[in-house]
Amino acid sequence: MDFARTATAQAAARDLQQSADPRMVLADRVEHLFAQMPIAIGATIVAGIFATLELQGRWYTELVWYWGAIVLAYTAAATGLLVSYRRSPTRHADAEQWLRSIGIAALANGVSWGLAGAVFFRSLADDQQVFLSFLVAGVTSIGIPIYAASWPIFAIYAAGILFPFTYVLATLGSRLFFDIALLVPVLYAVYVGIAYRLHQVFASGYRLRHAYSKLTEDYSALNQRLGQQLVELEEARRQVEASGRKLALFAERSPIAVFEFDAHGIVLSANPAAETLFGYGAAELIDRTATETLFQTMGKADIARRWRELIRSRSPMFGLRAASTRRDGAEITCEWSLTPLVNAENRVISVIVQGRDITQQLEAERMKQEFTSTLSHELRTPLTSIIGSLQLINSGVLGDIDKDVLELTSIAERNGQRLLDLINDILDVEKIESGKLTLFPEPMQLSDMVAESLTLNRGFAERFKVRLAAEGELPAVRVNADRKRLLQVMTNLLSNAAKFSPEGSTIQVGIQVEAGSARVAVNDHGPGIPEGFRGRIFGRFAQADMSYTRQKGGTGLGLSICKRLIEMMNGKIGFCDRSGGGTTFWFELPVHH
Amino acid sequence: MPANALNRICYVEDDEDIQRIVRMSLERVGGMTVEIVGDPMAAIARIRAFKPELVMLDWMMPGMDGPALFREMRATGDLKDLPVVFITAKASQRDLDELRAMGAAGTISKPFSPKELPDQLRAIWAALP
Repeated sequence: MDFARTATAQAAARDLQQSADPRMVLADRVEHLFAQMPIAIGATIVAGIFATLELQGRWYTELVWYWGAIVLAYTAAATGLLVSYRRSPTRHADAEQWLRSIGIAALANGVSWGLAGAVFFRSLADDQQVFLSFLVAGVTSIGIPIYAASWPIFAIYAAGILFPFTYVLATLGSRLFFDIALLVPVLYAVYVGIAYRLHQVFASGYRLRHAYSKLTEDYSALNQRLGQQLVELEEARRQVEASGRKLALFAERSPIAVFEFDAHGIVLSANPAAETLFGYGAAELIDRTATETLFQTMGKADIARRWRELIRSRSPMFGLRAASTRRDGAEITCEWSLTPLVNAENRVISVIVQGRDITQQLEAERMKQEFTSTLSHELRTPLTSIIGSLQLINSGVLGDIDKDVLELTSIAERNGQRLLDLINDILDVEKIESGKLTLFPEPMQLSDMVAESLTLNRGFAERFKVRLAAEGELPAVRVNADRKRLLQVMTNLLSNAAKFSPEGSTIQVGIQVEAGSARVAVNDHGPGIPEGFRGRIFGRFAQADMSYTRQKGGTGLGLSICKRLIEMMNGKIGFCDRSGGGTTFWFELPVHH
Repeated sequence: MPANALNRICYVEDDEDIQRIVRMSLERVGGMTVEIVGDPMAAIARIRAFKPELVMLDWMMPGMDGPALFREMRATGDLKDLPVVFITAKASQRDLDELRAMGAAGTISKPFSPKELPDQLRAIWAALP
């Protein structure tokens, strides 16, 4: 158990150490090496002076002075290195380079002592030789604490001192010195071993220091983030609370009835508008089922099926119409939207049901339909009699009539027809707006339809002394369109053109086929479309000038109906000025393949 | 196309003005023989007595509307193959489609042109099998 715990702790410490940045650890070690450098320099100066004074041997006397000068020069260079290291702003980033420099300095230092040992030893007296040996052993040992932060530096430093000295001892011819020469490498190995261990201890220490400081940094960042999150959480809580209050206010003041049901369809809450709508207090509505309150007239099986579907799909349901009975017995029809509320685990927690009373709206729709139907039947039936009678008279089948009478009956017939056109236009607009206009598209020859429209409207154009003509041979092209409605559009465009064309002019109708669409163009020689009218020409009750209506006839609905009809057939309609004067009205339909 | 030209027509319509216009149109313009029936409840007996080649029915009539009368004729053995044309002011396209599906020979919308009515009927007559 203990072993396991220790092993775990060691593993944790190892992980921790590995989290330290190795570059920073190296920078620290180099820093340590330079921190030891004054000691090395001081020791070198002291030892150098002593050695220069004491090693005056039998020969090489001048050489000893030179050597002393070299040692001094070395200490000056080392001091310069130290100063420039201290001054370098990038010394931590360039730690590797500084390590190399200090390595070279250490080698030079070592070699200078090694030189002294190797060159001067032979010339010295016995006691001086003991002094030199002591000096050599001393400077080697002092290198351990100084260079311990990097064992290879100590190794080259000590090698610089000891190996020349060993060579001299081994070759001096003395058995005792030979034995010492054999022991020196052992001493060297032991020293390097110690330096190596110290190096490990230093590295480990620095690694731990960095890991720890990093841990502290992480911890404080974590703490800061935690604090920030707490602030955000508090803000979010405040926002949720505020939006909850807002929502409650919306529900309370809303003119729309809002119910909250649980997933089984039991009322959880109801807003004041819901109370007003049904005539029950919220307390009376709560705990009742959806079938008892909102959906009384729908079959139980039907509402159960829809509810299950709602809960299963979790997607809102709109426009559900249902009739209910109020507390006072009045029947109302409401339109509901049902929105399931889902929690984070995707479970339906409640269903929000919002709705409004559409009883009056439905009644208004019904009345409008009835009105339209009345307009259609009750106005057309007498018009059938009026126009029919006048047509029979004017056709002459009943015998010749006085010219003045015929003129008047013709006016009556024409205006009866105008009234009928107006009624038909109004009915068309009503049908288009209520979406009840159904088209019956069929593939057809566009040129046949255009030719037919020219035949049908020739009589009308003659009244304005205008000719209708096809522009050259009409190209054969098929479109998918409602033939009757397309004829209605053509009749509108041709009759407009006829009304506004000068007497004796010709309205030319052409077909162009281009890029998958067929364009029918009706070209007139009229006065053109007034500038101020261009924007609303396809609008309802649009007429350039009210006086035109009296003069030319028409309801001002024709072009708006044309636009809608052409759009329902996936086409486009528009107009443009003709270069020689007059206007072109055109529509385009996709070519049917 | 039937072998003979269209001649005998029975028209069931409650509006007396339109009755008169249709009679004039078909007799004077079309040169046809026309029987007008004002009361749809008496229509079956009158049609049986007149033996028309084609029957025209108004859509909206008091007592029994055109489609109801048409259904009754379809259910009556000797009248069930008689061609029937509806004249109507209000029927929607769906109603008309339904009538065609039930076997109506054609429909003419109000207001019709009395000048063209005989030709419209002859066209429907010509299209019959």
